[in-house]
Amino acid sequence: MLTTLDGRLGDRLVVPAEAMGDTIELVVRPRDLTDVMRTLRDDGALRFELLADLCGVDTGLTMQVVYHLWSPLSADWVRVIADGLSRDDPRVPSVVQLWPGAEWAEREAYDMFGIEFEGNRDLRRIYMPPDYLSFPLRKDFALADDASRGTGAGIRHAEQPVAPAEVRLAPVIRSSAGAGAVLGADGELLALAASATDEAPAVDSGEEPA
Amino acid sequence: MTTPREQVRSLDDPEVMVQTPGTIYDTIPPLTPRTEREAEFYDVGDGEMLVNLGPQHPSTHGVLRVVLKIDGEKIVDLDPVMGYLHRGVEKICEHGDWHHAISNTDPLEYAASMFSESLPVLSAERLLELEVPRRAEYIRVLAWELNRISSHALFIGWLALDLGGITPILYGFGERDEIVEMLASLTGQKLLFNYMRIGGVNGDLNHDFLSRLGDWMSRAGARINDQATLMNENEIFVNRTKGLGVVSREMALQYGMSGPPLRATGVPYDVRRAHPYSVYPELEFDIPVRSDGDSYARYLLHVDEIKQSLRIIDQVLHQMPDGPVMAKLPRLLRVPPGRAFAALESPRGQYAVYAVSDGSDQPFRFRIHDPSFFNLQAVVPLTRGHLLADIMAIMASLDPIMGGIDK
Repeated sequence: MLTTLDGRLGDRLVVPAEAMGDTIELVVRPRDLTDVMRTLRDDGALRFELLADLCGVDTGLTMQVVYHLWSPLSADWVRVIADGLSRDDPRVPSVVQLWPGAEWAEREAYDMFGIEFEGNRDLRRIYMPPDYLSFPLRKDFALADDASRGTGAGIRHAEQPVAPAEVRLAPVIRSSAGAGAVLGADGELLALAASATDEAPAVDSGEEPA
Repeated sequence: MTTPREQVRSLDDPEVMVQTPGTIYDTIPPLTPRTEREAEFYDVGDGEMLVNLGPQHPSTHGVLRVVLKIDGEKIVDLDPVMGYLHRGVEKICEHGDWHHAISNTDPLEYAASMFSESLPVLSAERLLELEVPRRAEYIRVLAWELNRISSHALFIGWLALDLGGITPILYGFGERDEIVEMLASLTGQKLLFNYMRIGGVNGDLNHDFLSRLGDWMSRAGARINDQATLMNENEIFVNRTKGLGVVSREMALQYGMSGPPLRATGVPYDVRRAHPYSVYPELEFDIPVRSDGDSYARYLLHVDEIKQSLRIIDQVLHQMPDGPVMAKLPRLLRVPPGRAFAALESPRGQYAVYAVSDGSDQPFRFRIHDPSFFNLQAVVPLTRGHLLADIMAIMASLDPIMGGIDK
């Protein structure tokens, strides 16, 4: 199956097809997606006719849409990754024409990541309320306890308590610069807590009795 | 101090009424239509009206709202509205470690949570390339199949209940009660078991569980037949389900359906055989398939599957090896970077997970594929043109569980 796939799709794959356990992974560019999916579904030697899954992925650098397909002819699943979508304006052609059942899955990926599926007639939020503005599964959607991921990924967040209100406004990281210091992505000091600087003059001017 | 008269506002004040925001219960969306399809749906024609079914309607098996566009008794179109049970499980799983994911995915498929809680377990084991002790694998299969029977028994009862028959659900719950009590003596919980562990299971079989199981196995087959004879040839039941909600093979594949609705159309896709996991390759059982694709075929398929599950349990009990039930693993589990797609056959179909690990102890992306989500989607084309009362029979025969759909 691996060689068949390479033969049929060779020029449209970003990297050669790779077998990972019982899944064959294909990476394609978004513009080739419809073409590749149609070949996978309709080619008599492939017949990947069941869309086993469709989901969005935010890698932090780019967006991906990941499809898993099943064929009665193959012992393996095929994973198609439409890679390299821009995070600011992720767009990918819809596969609703091939699998009508992809409609809700695409709505979910839109709801969670903001990925626009061109050709889906019903691309509206599916879980979140209609007036909701963010895309919750994006990596820049910070939860209250997200500060733990900054300095020590892999350390349980329970070990690094940070008040939820602080984190929501700006990523406050406890560091040697003192409590309340706001650091940039590469560790530079952006601001100090306002309370620390305001306190010093207040002590000097407090001589005059009322 | 008295309030100035002009500041007193009442709901009769037209200005206040305009400012009152629409609620999620409004049939007509408070905002302008967001998509072509929404505009088309909410454009109500002559003689048509919009009615809400749910969100608390018992036949929606959870909290699902279906906006129906009806012309008299006939359903012209429908728009399911989901999200009432949305917790953001995928985001929660990305923010806890791999072990936390087990208890977080537990309530997804709440009628058979042995399956949904296995998702992080199977995906982590794939990424770790971990060998699970054989006794643990056999215990897992035992727990899965018991839970499958309890879920199927409940399905049969629910289906009849949605069609207006009260008795079968008493049989269904009787069966489920015994299995759930049995699993409670194994896991300590009746509903959300939290029993699967990465590398094994939480605790070995005990005497209480085995004695209950032996007791139940001695009469399970006869009891399933009892329940089946109550319904298989019941004229009202057959008339209301036969030829209703017919799914063709092509449609099932196009809609990504799996589980009994897919196999009732003749496609033998069962993850236990198509992508074997655990010790299923060593066990003998058949994949029941039917070709009619209607509600009645889906019902019969559930009965067939219960019989196959009993067959599996019988073999598991005879072949159960000795040994440990947990693999040796570090307490702070760092899963190697990689991508894994793991699936298992839940009572409702292919329950799958696409997990991406970045090498830390937390999943980087944890996508949960719920079979009910895809099966429920087919309710839209299936009920168009049918009568209002048939939507219950069709929806119940697709067996959606809203906990998994809404995530």
